Amino acid sequence: MPDVKPVAAHPPPQPKIKSMLREYWISVASLIGFLCFWEALCRFGIVGSYQLVPPSEVFSVFLEKFWDTSPDGATLQVHTLTSLGLALGAFAMAMLTGIPLGLFMGWYKPVRILARPIFDSMRPIPPIAWISLAILWLGIGYTAKVFIIWLSAFVPCVINAYIGITLANPVLIRVSNIYGASNWETFRKIGVPSAIPMIFTGLKLSLNAAWTTLVAAELLAASEGLGFLIQMGRRIARPDIIIVGMIAIGFSGALMSALLSYIESRFASSRSL
Amino acid sequence: MQGILEKNLERAGTLASFAILLVFWQLCAMRMGAAYLPSPVTVLQKAVIMFRESIGGNSMFAHIGYSLRRVLAAYLLAGVLGIPLGIAMGWNTTVHKIVNPVFELLRPIPPLAWIPLAILWLGIGEGPKIFICFVGAFVVFVLNAYTGMRYTERLLIDAARTFGATRNQQLFNVAIPASLPSVFAGVQNAMSMAWMCVVAAELVGAREGVGFIIIQGGDLGDVPMIIVGMVTIGLIGFFLAVSLRLLERMLCPWRRDLNQ
Repeated sequence: MPDVKPVAAHPPPQPKIKSMLREYWISVASLIGFLCFWEALCRFGIVGSYQLVPPSEVFSVFLEKFWDTSPDGATLQVHTLTSLGLALGAFAMAMLTGIPLGLFMGWYKPVRILARPIFDSMRPIPPIAWISLAILWLGIGYTAKVFIIWLSAFVPCVINAYIGITLANPVLIRVSNIYGASNWETFRKIGVPSAIPMIFTGLKLSLNAAWTTLVAAELLAASEGLGFLIQMGRRIARPDIIIVGMIAIGFSGALMSALLSYIESRFASSRSL
Repeated sequence: MQGILEKNLERAGTLASFAILLVFWQLCAMRMGAAYLPSPVTVLQKAVIMFRESIGGNSMFAHIGYSLRRVLAAYLLAGVLGIPLGIAMGWNTTVHKIVNPVFELLRPIPPLAWIPLAILWLGIGEGPKIFICFVGAFVVFVLNAYTGMRYTERLLIDAARTFGATRNQQLFNVAIPASLPSVFAGVQNAMSMAWMCVVAAELVGAREGVGFIIIQGGDLGDVPMIIVGMVTIGLIGFFLAVSLRLLERMLCPWRRDLNQ
């Protein structure tokens, strides 16, 4: 009998850090290169300090901004919480109004025939374009911004709930009809669960839209919030403040998206049809 | 017979829906007063006047022209740079590893959040508006081209390789055509993104363009002007989307059956 040595099916496990380093060193180098390039751009005076500040300075201003209220009258966390409250409030409202409308539009024909033309004809107008009208109707405060953000988040909710429910498997619907379920029961037990994956996709789009519109609304009319912070930075020509604000905007947006994806993975997987 | 009846019913429903909208608008206008919401007829009259006379030194068509020029310049630049970058990222892992971290770092920042920085960098002329539209459209172009390349069926490329296609042939004759539907989805989304961005940028600061009309209307307290501006923006956005869809149908015919 020949002496056969067992062959390892997998290569021997390498130390984790080492393999990760091999995999990602280019990415890390690229990031560092980007930051160095940015730093050099400022340090060698290629761009003026009123236009761009080096990342090291941005970092220190970022830390300072957690307790320093100058020059815009509030700390970074206050601005962030204001913006988050506004965006999430309007997002929740859009969710509660948009998803049912989309579902009903997809399920009940009369609703679709009546609501769809209006919806389709309003849709090409970017929500931000409503700002003047919203301010006129609702005043310059909180409500006008909520209205605009709600509008921007509402559209993807409706569209995705609508598409989602029309994708419900007709066989399931027929089975449920044959077994004597009422239309409403079929809607609730077959239609809505089949729409859930699409609804979650819509929620992600809608959260994104809400956050974008929030920034625009705060740029145009606000005395607090992250959009106001960067607008203030522009007025007094402080690029460091602007960039800190942009980082906070990007980070909070990414965090919310990640949270929503996590909820989706927990919720949608256990309910898929 | 059944089909025709149903179609007519649907058409009637659509008309009824618009009629309800107009009646509702008229009732709201009467209730709220012309200072808050003018009636549809007033808005229509205003539209006729606006398209005849000049607003802020430019005719309405000139304003539309300004906005379109900004959008198209930024859009074409973004497409020319973004699509090849997305394709390169999808085709070559090294390119992906180099570009992706920086891209992912900047992506969560909404394009509109660049407005203040763009104004600091480029002044208040055409520069910042084009820049903002560019940022908005560029991200969409890159992401869609990249996704299209990533989701190209492995089998197609393997088949081409089996038949002896070179790496370049695999790219240009297989992978890129296969990813075109996704690229074209990007072409459309990028346009609506760019259009939204130009409106926002013009709202924040401009002396011409369709966004300016709205701000001007707001400053003058002229509500019909605001509404005409909004409707114009909506209509142009709609026509841009429709013309791109036609373009897609011409350039990408194998997508047609997927659409229906």
